[in-house]
Amino acid sequence: MSLATPTAAPLLRPLPDSAYRRMTLVLRAGLLTALALLLGALVTYLGQHPGASSGVATATGSIAPYLSLGGLGHGLATGAPGAYLALGVFVLIATPILRVATGLYYFHRGHERTMALVTFAVLALLVLGVLVIGPWIR
Amino acid sequence: MELALFVLALALVAIAAGFVGSLTGLGGGVVILPILLIFFGVPFPIAVGAGSITILATSSTTGAAYVRDRLTDLRIGMFLEIATVPGALLGATLTVVLSHADLESALLIALGFVLLAIVPGALARRQEELPTGVVPDARSQRLGFAGEYPDRALGRTVRYRAADTDPALGVMFGAGIVSGMFGIGAGVFKVLALDRYLRLPMKVATATSNFMIGVTAAAGAGVLLAAGYINPWIAAPVAAGTVVGAFVGSHLLPGLRNRTVRLVFVPVVVALAIETILRGVGLP
Repeated sequence: MSLATPTAAPLLRPLPDSAYRRMTLVLRAGLLTALALLLGALVTYLGQHPGASSGVATATGSIAPYLSLGGLGHGLATGAPGAYLALGVFVLIATPILRVATGLYYFHRGHERTMALVTFAVLALLVLGVLVIGPWIR
Repeated sequence: MELALFVLALALVAIAAGFVGSLTGLGGGVVILPILLIFFGVPFPIAVGAGSITILATSSTTGAAYVRDRLTDLRIGMFLEIATVPGALLGATLTVVLSHADLESALLIALGFVLLAIVPGALARRQEELPTGVVPDARSQRLGFAGEYPDRALGRTVRYRAADTDPALGVMFGAGIVSGMFGIGAGVFKVLALDRYLRLPMKVATATSNFMIGVTAAAGAGVLLAAGYINPWIAAPVAAGTVVGAFVGSHLLPGLRNRTVRLVFVPVVVALAIETILRGVGLP
């Protein structure tokens, strides 16, 4: 065993293997789900609108109708490609947030009070960005 | 231009960007962002939103392998996010506010200089694979910022501990601002903090930086999404193309990951940075 430091100190008990396994699973599942939604919806939209202009790609607020739960639900129910594109973006953004939530669970379970508080604060800031700051500066 | 052609062109550019980005370690966003602005005429905040989506996709691609191999220090990464996430929220907010104030030219100039600042960091050759003489500060000791990982190349388990957390938090806050403001990973700055101040082994620093990049990007992307600046018609081909390019670059051609590739690639980034600055000052 190599020691990269001159003074050895006892290590904290490492996070359990299940923490690493679950985070890996969250990353892979989130990425694959998001890409499937994004590509499937994009191909469907292009099939439905073969002569569409690229103007839609440079417009702001293009998924605004799907930013509310009601709007998203209605769009998904009616098969609107824009709703599925929006869902793909949501999943992609939610993936690392879910990873932070996974960390919070394991720090709490391991009675690492400070780390649990720090992780909770990070989670709260991420939610604040989506629910408060973004809509405020829109 | 027809949307289908636009999407196809974006996907091809993203594949190339993901490929060279993974080979050089600079990430795809550094190339994609100026190309979106210069060649595709995408408005600044939407280009930043697309960049954030690209980072989310690529960090999830490579991050899973790092986490699985126990190279990522989850404890240190989670702790430092308390600095990068507020930075990214501030950065994304600044981008939207400056765009509303019709100050996109200032953003272009700033982006150009950030790209130029990234290059030396990406080219720097690190002196220490395994730092020695590391003295942890009080917070590092209290929170147990130490760990070990199996180093396959060295054929042994390496133990490490983290040194100075205060300056690392400061650099991470700055890296978060850059990431949120420009939709790039700013991994060069994160690795700098993990390497120079926390003095982690190189492999742990790289993996932990990658882990943090995704969470930082999520903070900026969340703000831009809610503000209406994530356009999925751009984000979808860019994210998918970058993931494909990064996958090919990191899995099929590992032998190409060397300094020579960086030296070839760096002039491209420098040229894009200069072009971005020129656009910002109003020159063609």
